[in-house]
Amino acid sequence: MREISVSNASQKWRAKTSRFWAPLCLAALLPAAAGAESDSSGLSPGYTEFYGYVELEGTFFFEEPAFEGQERHDASIALAPSFLAEWEDGDVAFTATPFLRLDAVDEERTHFDLREFKLDVTQGDWSGTVGNDIVFWGKTEAVHLVDIINQDDAVENIDGEDKLGQPMIKVARLTDYGEFSGFYLPYFRERTFAGEEGRLRSEILVDEDAARYETSQEEWTPGFAGRWTRATGGFDLGASAYHGLSRDPAFEFDLTDDGASLIPVYSRITQAGFDGQYTTGPSLWKAEAIWRTGQRNLDFEKEDYVAATGGLEYTFFQIAETDMDLGILGEYAWDSRGDDATALFQNDAIAGARLTFNDVEDTAILFFGSVDVETGGTFLRLEAERRVWDSWRLAVEGSAFLGIDEDDIAADFAEDSFLRAKLSYFW
Amino acid sequence: MAEENADIGGAKQPLAEKLAARIVTFRWVWIVLTVVLVGGFAAGLQHLRFEPDARVFFAEENPDRVALDEFEAAFAKDDNLMIVLAPKSGDVFTTDALTFIGEITERAWLLPFVRRVDSLTNFQHTYANGDEMIVRDLIPDPPSVSAEEAADAREIALNRVELVDAMVNVDGSVAMVQVMFRLPGVNTETEVPSIVAEAEELRAEWAEAHPDVDVYLTGSVVINNAFASAGAEDGQNLLMPMFIVILLVVGLALRSAFGTLSVLIVIVLSALTGMGALGWSGMPINSVTVLAPLYILTLAVASAVHILTAVRQVMVETADRKEWARRALTDHMGAITVACVTTAIGFMSLNFSISPPFRELGNIVAVGVMAALFFTLTLLPALITFLPIKRRTERAATNRLMDQLAEFVIANRKALLPGMAALTVLGAMGITQLKLEDDFVRYFDDRYAFRVDSDFTEDNLTGLNAIEYPLETGTSGGINNPEYLKAVQGFADWLRDQPEVGTVRTLTDTIARLNMNMHADDPGFHRLPDSEEEASQFLFLYELSLGYGMDLTDRINVDRSALRVSVALPNVTTAEIKELEDRAMAWLQENAPGVTTRPTGVSHVFTLISVRDVPAMLLGTFVAVILISAVIMLALRDVRIGFVSLIPNLLPAAVAFGLWGYGVGAVTLAISVVVAATLGIVVDDTVHFLAKYSKARKEGRSPEDSVRYAFRSVGMALLVTTLGLVAGFGVLAQSGFAVNGDMAKLTAITITIALVADFLLLPALLIWLDRRRESMPDTTETESKPAAALGVLALTAALAVAMTAGIAAAQTPEEKGLAITKEADRRDLGFGDFRAKGEMVLKDSGGNESRRAFDNMVLERPDPAFGDKSVIVFTSPRDIRGTGLLTFDNIEPADDDQWLYLPAVKRVKRISSSNRTGKFVSSEFSYEDLGSNEVADYDYKWIRDEACPTDAALQCFVVESYPRAPKSGYSKRVGWIDMDEYRLQQVEFFNRRGDHEKTLTFKSYQQYLGQYWRPDLMTMVNAQTGKSTDLVWSDYEFRSGLNERDFSEQRLPKMAR
Repeated sequence: MREISVSNASQKWRAKTSRFWAPLCLAALLPAAAGAESDSSGLSPGYTEFYGYVELEGTFFFEEPAFEGQERHDASIALAPSFLAEWEDGDVAFTATPFLRLDAVDEERTHFDLREFKLDVTQGDWSGTVGNDIVFWGKTEAVHLVDIINQDDAVENIDGEDKLGQPMIKVARLTDYGEFSGFYLPYFRERTFAGEEGRLRSEILVDEDAARYETSQEEWTPGFAGRWTRATGGFDLGASAYHGLSRDPAFEFDLTDDGASLIPVYSRITQAGFDGQYTTGPSLWKAEAIWRTGQRNLDFEKEDYVAATGGLEYTFFQIAETDMDLGILGEYAWDSRGDDATALFQNDAIAGARLTFNDVEDTAILFFGSVDVETGGTFLRLEAERRVWDSWRLAVEGSAFLGIDEDDIAADFAEDSFLRAKLSYFW
Repeated sequence: MAEENADIGGAKQPLAEKLAARIVTFRWVWIVLTVVLVGGFAAGLQHLRFEPDARVFFAEENPDRVALDEFEAAFAKDDNLMIVLAPKSGDVFTTDALTFIGEITERAWLLPFVRRVDSLTNFQHTYANGDEMIVRDLIPDPPSVSAEEAADAREIALNRVELVDAMVNVDGSVAMVQVMFRLPGVNTETEVPSIVAEAEELRAEWAEAHPDVDVYLTGSVVINNAFASAGAEDGQNLLMPMFIVILLVVGLALRSAFGTLSVLIVIVLSALTGMGALGWSGMPINSVTVLAPLYILTLAVASAVHILTAVRQVMVETADRKEWARRALTDHMGAITVACVTTAIGFMSLNFSISPPFRELGNIVAVGVMAALFFTLTLLPALITFLPIKRRTERAATNRLMDQLAEFVIANRKALLPGMAALTVLGAMGITQLKLEDDFVRYFDDRYAFRVDSDFTEDNLTGLNAIEYPLETGTSGGINNPEYLKAVQGFADWLRDQPEVGTVRTLTDTIARLNMNMHADDPGFHRLPDSEEEASQFLFLYELSLGYGMDLTDRINVDRSALRVSVALPNVTTAEIKELEDRAMAWLQENAPGVTTRPTGVSHVFTLISVRDVPAMLLGTFVAVILISAVIMLALRDVRIGFVSLIPNLLPAAVAFGLWGYGVGAVTLAISVVVAATLGIVVDDTVHFLAKYSKARKEGRSPEDSVRYAFRSVGMALLVTTLGLVAGFGVLAQSGFAVNGDMAKLTAITITIALVADFLLLPALLIWLDRRRESMPDTTETESKPAAALGVLALTAALAVAMTAGIAAAQTPEEKGLAITKEADRRDLGFGDFRAKGEMVLKDSGGNESRRAFDNMVLERPDPAFGDKSVIVFTSPRDIRGTGLLTFDNIEPADDDQWLYLPAVKRVKRISSSNRTGKFVSSEFSYEDLGSNEVADYDYKWIRDEACPTDAALQCFVVESYPRAPKSGYSKRVGWIDMDEYRLQQVEFFNRRGDHEKTLTFKSYQQYLGQYWRPDLMTMVNAQTGKSTDLVWSDYEFRSGLNERDFSEQRLPKMAR
């Protein structure tokens, strides 16, 4: 059901915007065309590559489901092929990365997305991107506060690391004082939520189709963003601003004849953010902070807020005279809204360790836990991976929710601790 | 003292006043600048390390050292540990004692870097058994020794000339186990201490297990270790007393807590700066330079006290703190500058010494003193305005003492002048009584346990001072010549007859015994064989039967053209050694005309070190005298007074040496540097006194009145600062290390005498010289001392430059190594950028392969202050496809800047690059190996030229490079660079322990753009694990149009696409 609606939307979106896009696309292609003539290679690309991966996944949940319809196990397959074509020594490049997941249990988790479908053009100090792309902002490891361009693909994982492709026009200029980039985001992507059969969902289901916007243009509400980044000495700094629909929905409780449901509500926000890292020897000091206005909190009230996170990552190289490196991580995340925060981490301490084996198989293990300083609610996460054959990779990941308070935003996940194995083939 | 302010601070010195006003106005700047400056210098402290080696006293170019190095290359470097055992029973030939010796012999083999262990039990005893010659351990299984066997062993041992007084004493009551080491000389600061620490632990264990046997430890490793630990101990033990003395002197002089605090701040910062400079220079600390901070503390006090004394006088008149600082500066800026600059010049002249520790000491102290000058003139005034120094409104007690002294000198001047002259001559005559005594064992006093152990060893067994005679025949294999052997035996016998000699080791003893063994133990054949054939056969047989580690390579050189005769001398003086050496050379010339030799050995080099250093430092002192006199003339703008100043400046050292000669006699090489070092200090008093005197004279006062004026204005300050200096050096004199102790004692005596000369002799001299001149013309110009100070500074700078240039004139192996590397680097300059495809083939010892492919892009940064920029993008294995690594190489020790692009999350992360030693994608290449090696990352040394290991048709330079980065995984790299194109052909990597770890060879070089050479294959083989990695390069493309933008973290995703 769902992937159809998305592709419908994307077709609509293409049709509707073709008028608007055409000149921009042309403008972007001009230098490429100009170069192509002298190159005498015509419009055929100088380099193409087809690569990607297919991934088998099995998940086992430690505890009985908390809600009706959920299962104890899950099996799934994902496919992410990429196509790359380059002209002008890579100064013009087209990339397409569709993503498809088929899930045996949760039909909402079966979904399709265009992670990338974009044209990148680089000319001297200037660069630009038109199309669907994923852009990451920020420095810290556990919580990504300033990262706002892309919507979470929350059915992939609740940790916010998987993102949906965002339609955009990006223009950037590299100067002696860092890179300045501007984004125009014409279309909004709704967050994905687990369906009735899926684990890691709220007790009352989210009705995505009923999503409500507090703007008249709804998902066509344009977003604008600007960012500056610079590396100087041991410092890597970033500052960013965003104006547009919030990626984080608030929820309205809705009771109809079909039963109760949660309706995601997206409001228009303005956000300013800062992120910085100081690197000295084996120590990485990281911090992010945002100020946001227009966001509705858990009480469904608009509340201006400030959130910050920061910490230290320290690496012990070649521990115990082996080739292994051990990185330890300590971060703290804070949100001025406290219990009303829509974020998972609002007053949490995070500690973790990453063990990198530096072996031929690139084995690595990441383990971290976060503790809510007030309630003591604990979230544990384990990620381990290793290359098994030349182009195969085996990964095991686990999450555990311990002592989650009933009032906690993650309260409904309390029974959803799981272990997941993934086997991927890359070509 | 108010007068002084009036006549110096008046309108005559607008420049000083202007400068002082500026300094006070910008006082914040000085505080910030101080923090930056001290921070910058103090960051160098982390590079400080200790060098435990008596040889630090020998410069590389010292000809005796060169001879010693050649000798050790031909035979062996004798780093030994002597474990001396004295059973309380008074007999070492008992089962218990012999078992213990056997146990020690076994255990000693486990010490680090051990090369050979000699003891009674494993002595290679030879005897005949019918036709056969038997070589066996004297006591093969000590625990099973019966009383008769022990008695037999005693009989054998006490009749063997090789053993008596070497491994066992004449009455068999003391025995020794001698452990020889082969030190890699890589981690010089840890090798020796690790041996000694383990030995000390063993001694403690043995003391517990065998309470009936006393164990003593000595030998060269213990001595070398003492050179480091003594220095460190001195530094620690003397620091606190030094601070207490300074606090006491300064506190009493100033009677102000905050005043004392500000002085402390200034002197501590000066010492930090000096030591930081040593750290940055990369030179290790040694037992002399460890006291440099204490020298700086002592010397820096005087200037600061001068300023604060002046403040004490100004505060009576005004409450304005800024005015205090301004006036104090205006009055004393000139004199302080001159005083500090002369002190620095004096210490810098130590660069003429042949002994590196003194050169380093001179330079550190000079830096520290100049830092003290800077802080005194900038930070101190700032502190005066900020610190709540209590204002006092009553005048300091007038110096009645000084007035009385002035009157005394004036009244008795006619007696004083000849009296002082006579005393000086009488005193200086003591110089004839001085005996140069450089016995490195006796550099340490009884406070050091090893000295006690060494004395016991010398009294009961053998001497630690050894002279080595490599007796050269001049022909390869010539040692078997019977004539030669007879000469050697004769020499050894002659030596044994000399009263100074303890033991003599020579292979001829062994050969004579072998001759007897080969003739069925017939005592009649206990003599050297008659024919060359016999001699060489016996030796050959003997060597074949020797146990592991017992071979003769340390007694015979490689082409068998020379034997070595070692002479141990217990309880001798340097003079006695010298005398014996002369007699020995005379004997050899007369009795062994075909044999050439030159005595050598550590003791020998020490014997000559003072003899060599005295003339070297005479020149240095002469230069210092000229420069310092020039500074004084410039500062006082009076040539005549400058010459007069020579008398009170030079006389004190002469008298001090004389007194030392009368009182002590023996003196170490410290003496040679004392004159130059103290000159700069004693000059200060003279300058202060003469400045006031000539000022008064120019104002038209009579010589007598001018003397009164000089006494009153600076007499007290001179007394106080001199007392402070004497007290400070008095503390340093407590050092248990004779070189430091002698130097400090001589300095303290010299300074004391200088004050006496300045107070009693100089005024009398001045009055006498000026007896016919009623007044001096006022030649003072508008700009005076500050301008002179600037001139002095320029002169000092010029001197420093000249000294550096002079030292750099000759090309040492270090310079050659650097030159080769620079040339190789120069030839690769200007490539602009290139891209290439790389593939790593990782092979383990079992033959399994694993591959990684990547694109590599490099952008040259032409500025030698930066390394290149590079991007590596992986293309396989496919799961890491698109992973990009951007690196900005920085010059060590700064970490590189490094970013990693992770395509799965589209994230560019700045990562830590402080890991030099980690393996790059688990290959045998470490991050350090792959980073672009910048010239400034290493120190170099050219070793030799030879055929390239990769292609015998090519000649290669062999250059060792030593990483400057403390984080480097290597102690050194040995590189083969071909002479044709300066391409690196092979590199051997030595890990921090000094073991050979990896070898990298470069094959199939191709030339690009007609200039730049790149290998198609680099093979790294790990010598320890058998693993290897091939790095195969292809598709090189130079000047491919890459630019700075492509190597930014923002463009990394594009590059990695």
